[in-house]
Amino acid sequence: MRTEFITTNIAIAEGAIMAGMKFYAGYPITPASDLFEYLAERLPQAGGLTVQFEDEIASINAVIGASWAGAKSMTATSGPGFSLMVEGLGFAIITETPLVVVDIMRAGPSTGVPTKATQSDVYQVRFAPHGIYSIPVLIPWSAQEGFDLAIRAFNIAEALRTPVIILSDAVLAHAWEKVRIKDLTEIKVIDREMPQLKNKNSWLNQKSDLVPPMKVFGRGYGAKVESLIHDERGWYIPNNETYRKLVWRLVRKIEDKARFLWDSVTYLTEDSDYLVYAYGSVARPAYAAVKELRKESIRIGLFRPRTLWPFDYFNLKKASMKVKKVFVVENNEGKIFREVQRHLRGKEVIPLPLIDLEVPPPEDIVDSIREWL
Amino acid sequence: MMGNKLRHPLSKYLLEDRLPHSWCPGCGIGIALGSILRAIDKKVKEGAIDYNKLVLVTGIGCSARAAFYVRFDSAHTIHGRAIPFASGVKLANPSLTVLVFGGDGDIAGIGGNHLIHAARRNMDLLVFMITNFVYAMTGGQVAPTTPTGLYTTTTPKGNPERPLNAIKLVASQNPNYVARASATHPALIEQYTYKALNMEGFRFIEIISMCPEVFGRHIGFNDPVTLYKTLKSKSIVKDKPSLDESDYDWNHGWILGEYVLRRNPGYLTTLRRYEG
Amino acid sequence: MRKEFLAAGRGGQGILLLGHVLGHAVAKYTKFYVTVTESYDAETRGGDSKIDFIIADKPEELDYFKVRNSDVALFMYPEQLVKYERLVKDNAIVFIDNYFIKEVRANRKWLIKEAPYTQIAEEKIGTHVVANMIALGHIIKVTKLVPVEAIIKSIKEVVRKKWIYIDIKAFQKGLTL
Repeated sequence: MRTEFITTNIAIAEGAIMAGMKFYAGYPITPASDLFEYLAERLPQAGGLTVQFEDEIASINAVIGASWAGAKSMTATSGPGFSLMVEGLGFAIITETPLVVVDIMRAGPSTGVPTKATQSDVYQVRFAPHGIYSIPVLIPWSAQEGFDLAIRAFNIAEALRTPVIILSDAVLAHAWEKVRIKDLTEIKVIDREMPQLKNKNSWLNQKSDLVPPMKVFGRGYGAKVESLIHDERGWYIPNNETYRKLVWRLVRKIEDKARFLWDSVTYLTEDSDYLVYAYGSVARPAYAAVKELRKESIRIGLFRPRTLWPFDYFNLKKASMKVKKVFVVENNEGKIFREVQRHLRGKEVIPLPLIDLEVPPPEDIVDSIREWL
Repeated sequence: MMGNKLRHPLSKYLLEDRLPHSWCPGCGIGIALGSILRAIDKKVKEGAIDYNKLVLVTGIGCSARAAFYVRFDSAHTIHGRAIPFASGVKLANPSLTVLVFGGDGDIAGIGGNHLIHAARRNMDLLVFMITNFVYAMTGGQVAPTTPTGLYTTTTPKGNPERPLNAIKLVASQNPNYVARASATHPALIEQYTYKALNMEGFRFIEIISMCPEVFGRHIGFNDPVTLYKTLKSKSIVKDKPSLDESDYDWNHGWILGEYVLRRNPGYLTTLRRYEG
Repeated sequence: MRKEFLAAGRGGQGILLLGHVLGHAVAKYTKFYVTVTESYDAETRGGDSKIDFIIADKPEELDYFKVRNSDVALFMYPEQLVKYERLVKDNAIVFIDNYFIKEVRANRKWLIKEAPYTQIAEEKIGTHVVANMIALGHIIKVTKLVPVEAIIKSIKEVVRKKWIYIDIKAFQKGLTL
């Protein structure tokens, strides 16, 4: 273990290296470029490689290819670049390619304000590719969590053979903080399963029927990586049976594992009459606001998911059981509010959409909550 | 396989269970793939290539279906993105022999930017581009390579645009190998492939090919043989043609031959020099 | 425990480096947690340059990123003093480069510590660019925020090689103010 003073961008890069990342492809974009620049120096020292491609489309496809060639791979981008990666992301989903995409949210739509943060991509990262699937999205609130969640993201990617998104933002990206860089003895690193060669024609020769072992290139498997709907062999078969089987598995392998993916934290909720739901950078001023209100003897607590998708309704329901009202504070027009409301039927759920290029300050949150007390 | 059944000479390379293939009678893609596999087979038999290290990467389109039929590792990726996917494969495991196979719309249309930059990097890939002058799988729309004046379903009054000369485009980035062959000349495909297989850097082989169904028929050739004979008559083989000779149009035809051959270090070799 | 520190000046005055050196020292050589965010104008020189620096003994205390009630502040230039004085609380210790800031108009109960950092840098060290390190020395001397040795180690680890010696010299000069 060592301690460093680093940004969330660098912490994510260090976490990825710790998880065993060996390939990074990217295209410059604010506020993700310095993550790439850091890796360009650092990854070769760790036996890996970074390459700058001609655009984000090439970057994500190179990352997918590298993963099939056996390397744990990652790319990082921001809104406009993520939009270009959406096609590749769908390809990674259907081919069940383990990889990590870091989306560092900036203010949109379109070019928006490149240097400033909002939380406007919370649905884009979950629903942008067309088709039927589920995709895990992790959301840190500090540089330390950038490091920790990067390791977790790779582990989920490898264990479930899926792309995993780390959703950061422009404020977190460049916040310098104290980070405990754990060493390999302190963390768990998961690697993808590969078929036993003697059974190479059967993908079902191991453990879970939801996550087939991966036929990595160059090992004699005769892998068939297929962007079309396919059966166990990777053969295109456009009928209902094959289609339903594949897409239900793509959904179920994530959703059935949701309770292992959920990772929510509560603060001051034991005696709460009110609950604030916030995530990512906004959870920090939200926590400050909760503490302010507590000084006035208002019994209020904070619920903060570190896994945004799959949506942790289970722990949210538990935490909100006895509260009168739930406030959803987010730096957008009120996106995740809908999801919270959907799961807390019958409960009063109030959207507090505080759009702020600098992250809404605690006093704005306090004022907004006070109006509803 | 059944005991005494005759096997295809390339059965080691072809997933026979998936045959018959989806290509139309008279289509040139099968000829191209067969010629390439024969060149690979020679190299494998010579011990110059490891069968288990072969990867065929394709995008989307008729040509891209080749990934279905090979027995070794293959990827049928997304439209236009075969080259960046293949780059990632090669960079992550340089011991692999990575081939890209695709149509002109896939490689030079939607994937054109990736083509330019892979050539510029001298990326260690062997790219085959099947030029059949149309988007065939979607029904015969105009392609970047469609000669001026010809009918396509999206240019019903004739194509007003000039065709993309991929040979010149790729050559402008100074890769190691640029050649043009034709499905009407399978021996050339095999010969060029054999030569390019063990080279470093970016290697590009354009293969003129016949689409009798939604190119030939649409421009008035009612049977595949006439189209084949026409394309053959328009193909002139030349020893070391100049790049200016690579321009083509429907009236004058096209020059087949090796336009660029050099032995510069490939991307991975260059990278190793920089990384020390 | 949670303390806020705000430093502001013009771009080119080394505010960001000061934040780095101090943050690095806190993170690596003390038991405290720290959050530092920087803001600066697109222009490298001349625009605003500001760091929001929060230090706490528990990570949860580092809630909001930004300084709102600064316990300690440093102002290197008059414009930023006017702009950000509302973020500094009463009874704060406020360091002023009085080479540029001739008077503090803010009607606030601050404990003002002042010195002509830029002039000292120019005259004693030979370049104005180390005014930030002189100021840092002054801040450490008065606030004892982190041990002197931690800052010196931090300078060695953070600052570009050719500047290490001169920055340490400037920092030590600041300690004598």
